[in-house]
Amino acid sequence: MLEIFDYDFMQRAFLAGMLIAILASVSGTFVVLKRYSMISETLAHSALVGVAVGLVAGFNPLWMAVVVAIASAWLIEYLRSSFSLYSDAILAILLSGSLAIAVIIVSLGGAFNNSLFSYLFGSILAVSEEDIITILVFGTIALGLLLAFSKELYFIAYDEEVAQTSGVKVKFLNFLLVTVVAIIIALSIRVVGSLLIGALMVIPTVSALQYRVGFLNTTFISLVFALLSVLSGMTLSFYFSLPSGATIVLCVLVIFVVSLVINKK
Amino acid sequence: MKFKVPIFDVKNLSFSVRGQKILSHISLEIFNGEYVAIIGPNGGGKTTLIRMLLGLETPTNGEIKIFGKKIKDFKQWQKIGYVPQRASHVDANFPATVLDIVNMGRVSQRSIFARTNNEDKEAVHDAMLKMDILDLKDKMVGTLSGGQRQRVMIARALASKPEILILDEPNTGVDMLSQKNFYALLANLNKEEKITIVFITHDIGVIADDIGRLFTINQKAVICNNPKEALSCEEMSELYGIDAHLVHNHKHVH
Repeated sequence: MLEIFDYDFMQRAFLAGMLIAILASVSGTFVVLKRYSMISETLAHSALVGVAVGLVAGFNPLWMAVVVAIASAWLIEYLRSSFSLYSDAILAILLSGSLAIAVIIVSLGGAFNNSLFSYLFGSILAVSEEDIITILVFGTIALGLLLAFSKELYFIAYDEEVAQTSGVKVKFLNFLLVTVVAIIIALSIRVVGSLLIGALMVIPTVSALQYRVGFLNTTFISLVFALLSVLSGMTLSFYFSLPSGATIVLCVLVIFVVSLVINKK
Repeated sequence: MKFKVPIFDVKNLSFSVRGQKILSHISLEIFNGEYVAIIGPNGGGKTTLIRMLLGLETPTNGEIKIFGKKIKDFKQWQKIGYVPQRASHVDANFPATVLDIVNMGRVSQRSIFARTNNEDKEAVHDAMLKMDILDLKDKMVGTLSGGQRQRVMIARALASKPEILILDEPNTGVDMLSQKNFYALLANLNKEEKITIVFITHDIGVIADDIGRLFTINQKAVICNNPKEALSCEEMSELYGIDAHLVHNHKHVH
């Protein structure tokens, strides 16, 4: 049964997967409560621009993904606060815009190959030791920031204006949250894929919300769901030769449907 | 009282949106310990005025001082408790227990990485005790009645130990009995706890005995220092339009 751990690449994949599950679900709680779910999709597509630049120019694609995702997150916040544009429209524009840029870069650089494919849909075979270290370093910083400001972020998610009138630095913390989310998404696309990471960030929290419990318990349930789907998804993907990202997303979807049904009013 | 620094010192305040005047040349002062009610027709600019006092909107003209400081230099926002209009319409799915919400009142006072200390715990307990919601502590806010939610929102504002409480019609969707209790609570906070209260309301008849001054806002501000007299004052009737008569009848019914 445990032959799955005989392979070095599977050990790395499990480690990376679990780290990502923790990061995606904890940040996802704030993202979902702020009605910001779509930002994960947009940032994942922006991260692809970084991957494209990395693949074509020969830099580390993961690092480039982090940089471009952060830039995109700041652009979103800037557009949201400085122009009268609908937030969801900004997200839609940047999503398709990023994808177009990524495709053009990759096409001009002649890098349309399996390597790009693995960033779109995720690949457990692709996780290197260097990737694990990158995820560990950036992930620790991201998680540290989220935990340090969790009370403020929760207050802002509950009521942004009331938080502001109580003296919470709303603008700064909104920037901080999108930055952290951008980092986490860029780190995750290696394992889950940029087209599927949004699911891992949003669905565990939405499932946890069905249990109608307080904030801490909701975050905890969401974390357990994310870990459960990553572990079961990876195991299934190993034994049935399925793509890892898609299998993980299907697992989290099953959890969502079950949560929905057993908590039906 | 005369020489004291007012909590809010508003001078010649105007606000326009896309050329449309919402408020023009408002000047008023609110002093420590006062209970002030703000009334006026919908769209008359009451909420806009409050939003400017809280720094959520920037005035087109004029100046606001809070505790003697210009609003952009004012930092001690925990001294001001704000309960917005939408207070009793909590999103039923938001994962928050009553305690989660009241704890938010302490957020702005803590430093990063600091855990909840005894002072925080005491302030939160105290606020829940005053609002009589201690037994609801672990209940999800989404399951509470309108009146209970209203008390939770005020407890959140009280947890920061504010010197002034600003309430913007927080009683929509609340039944009559809860409203009466709520007004009694406000009067008590003002008298016993010495908390200054600024209350935007339509129910002026019911609280006329509690309030010290009445501001009528309809683009301009009319300040009546004797609210009971104000209820029959023609000037106000003119400003407030048909609502003034409704308020008047209201007073006789109760």
